[in-house]
Amino acid sequence: MASFTFSRELDPLNALFRLHKEWEQPAVNVFRSGDELVIRVEVPGFAPEDLSIESRGQTLSISGKRSEEPAAQGAYHRRERFAGEFSRSLQLSRDVDPSLALASCKHGVLTLRVPARAEAKPRQIAVSAS
Amino acid sequence: MTTTEANTRPARTRQPKVDILETEAGLRLWADLPGVDERSVEVELVDGVLAIRGRVALEDYENLAPLHTECDVGNFDARFRLSSAIDGAGIRATLRNGVLELDLPKVESAKPRRIEIG
Repeated sequence: MASFTFSRELDPLNALFRLHKEWEQPAVNVFRSGDELVIRVEVPGFAPEDLSIESRGQTLSISGKRSEEPAAQGAYHRRERFAGEFSRSLQLSRDVDPSLALASCKHGVLTLRVPARAEAKPRQIAVSAS
Repeated sequence: MTTTEANTRPARTRQPKVDILETEAGLRLWADLPGVDERSVEVELVDGVLAIRGRVALEDYENLAPLHTECDVGNFDARFRLSSAIDGAGIRATLRNGVLELDLPKVESAKPRRIEIG
């Protein structure tokens, strides 16, 4: 009896699954702390050197690339983790200066601190007596 | 097959994303635990159920007012009923960049055996 199996490339369900994987992006949380913005991105498995951050105007772009060698042998019971490349751009409000952002990455969490523009910070104006 | 055990816990916990690979020698598991360091992770194997718990430093989130939230922040908790008999003493765990990697060797009797036809 002849048997037929889909190749991985032809399997429509697998193609849909891969497309879903390609759309997958790391989760971003944005907080305010005093007058600075704190941005946290979950990037488990990415080393600091796998990440790149760029600011242009009010846009902050975060991208990462991680290659994971496929298993030489064995069968996956589950495959839920994100692997590959991602790129996200965040449009920030005018009161912060993305060019002064500081980035750190610890235990798979990227933290960006974006300070307020000097002109956006509240300033005390002295009242003279005259 | 590997199944997830349902569990109820009072604290707000998250289910980590995992990859599980089975080879002839054993199971290999990777769990995404972003924000968890090596001192804050617990791995336990009891009666064929593997439990993974990871605590996140929630104090890092104090005094932060959320503006945009795509994921909840909380401790991780997952349980798996393992398909094969695992040699508990041989389990090795490493945590790097927020990813826990577990090497779970099968006990000798659970390994596939080729039987020669004489």
